[in-house]
Amino acid sequence: MRALNIGATGMLAQQTNVEVISNNIANMNTTAYTRRRAEFHDLLYQNLRRAGSNSSDTGTIVPTGVQLGLGVKTAAVYRITEQGSVTSTNNALDLAIQGKGYFQIDLPSGETAYTRDGAFQLSPNGEIVTHDGYRVTGLGAIPTNAESITINPTGEVLYKIDGQTALVNAGQIQTAIFPNDAGLNAIGDNYLTETAGSGAPTVGVPGSVGFGTILQGYLESSNVNVVSEITELISAQRAYEMNSKVITTSDEMLSTISRMK
Amino acid sequence: MENTSYIALSRQTALWRQLDVVSNNLANMNTNGYQAEQTLFSEYLMNTRDSHFRLPEKLAYTQDAGTYRDLTAGPLEHTGNPLDLAINGEGYFEVEDGAGPAYTRGGRFTLDAEGKVVTADGRPLMTDAGTPLVIAPNEGEVTISATGTVSTENGPVGKLRLVSFEDEQKLRRIGGGLFDSGDQQANPITEPRIEQGMIEKSNVNPVVEMTRMIQVQRSYEAANKLIESENDRQLNAYAVLSGTK
Repeated sequence: MRALNIGATGMLAQQTNVEVISNNIANMNTTAYTRRRAEFHDLLYQNLRRAGSNSSDTGTIVPTGVQLGLGVKTAAVYRITEQGSVTSTNNALDLAIQGKGYFQIDLPSGETAYTRDGAFQLSPNGEIVTHDGYRVTGLGAIPTNAESITINPTGEVLYKIDGQTALVNAGQIQTAIFPNDAGLNAIGDNYLTETAGSGAPTVGVPGSVGFGTILQGYLESSNVNVVSEITELISAQRAYEMNSKVITTSDEMLSTISRMK
Repeated sequence: MENTSYIALSRQTALWRQLDVVSNNLANMNTNGYQAEQTLFSEYLMNTRDSHFRLPEKLAYTQDAGTYRDLTAGPLEHTGNPLDLAINGEGYFEVEDGAGPAYTRGGRFTLDAEGKVVTADGRPLMTDAGTPLVIAPNEGEVTISATGTVSTENGPVGKLRLVSFEDEQKLRRIGGGLFDSGDQQANPITEPRIEQGMIEKSNVNPVVEMTRMIQVQRSYEAANKLIESENDRQLNAYAVLSGTK
């Protein structure tokens, strides 16, 4: 009774699909969220009659054979790292990365997390921190008497002390790029961590070759396209229904056997 | 005497197989690059006691002789992912599958930790030089031309190997969207047409598969009916012959 199991693999796959899509829709307003897509692959095949085997003594061969597939499996859930649109916030500490790269954040555990969510704030000590109060790597504190903070496209953090004319450099925001962005591990709160699949980060100055540039006063929106998510959702629901119909049909065919006199 | 039931049974067995194929198509209706599978039925002739007569009588059983792939291209969908590739027209991408090359039309590729362009299972995509396609970490803009030339901001880095086969039906599925060449020669396509940022969806037509499934179910019930009425006929015959009726 392969059809029953095949229908079940189909339903499971579509359920995963709906979960991924609903997470995308739930995060459509999350800053710098990258949408996910579930990718499916066909499962194993059984060769009941192998193509290419001899079908007679004179050497004629079976042209196609009988191959029965055993369903579908979820191969991966990708993050699609397409640039999200940027929206103006007019907040000096809201930063968006245009192009490749991630901000580096010092986690309390000592590890480095990576994020494209550049909604930063000042901590009581004048440090540039995330919503959770985690420091952006490599920046000095900004004194309380600083009048304005300018962060230029190459990531230099400059401020001006009230009454002075010269700009003071508080440090350099460096961004990290990875051979395989999609392999980063999402730990929630918009943070990602390095894995064996992502490869080691290359840290560099924004604006140099291969790195994006920094936009001050903007935030990157999520790259979720609601219209395409909804159409995907509808298609996933239909696929789910059809696979459940497979199970109903196999069940009815089985029950005709048990009803036999 | 029992032939009627056996013929009906051979039909039912074949119908179960067909249901397996239909349900596999439905399960894979959202699998990128999947090509629907169809069944072929043929009759299997059996000699009977009367086959030596001039007008021989033969019994025709049902046999599912083969399955074949529907080779029509699936619809292309825009994804915006630069490493999603769709083949517009014939051809297969070549990937390295440990023991040797495997072929696929599922064009969702990604980078691995070493910068190799790989499938979701980590199998590297091959270039026409017979080496995996590698993108350096500082190369962000990957452009793949229609003919398969891969370039980044640092210039061209390789050309994808796209192949065709004399008989595509001889390719064997090995799961994971991959095919084995089945001892066939892979011929490089000189003028491939690749669409970057698009993906070929599965070519399963759900409406057709659903109607096929209903048809399978009804045919199965009809065969069942045949077995039951044959059973009734035999019971009746025994009753008449034994004089109980």
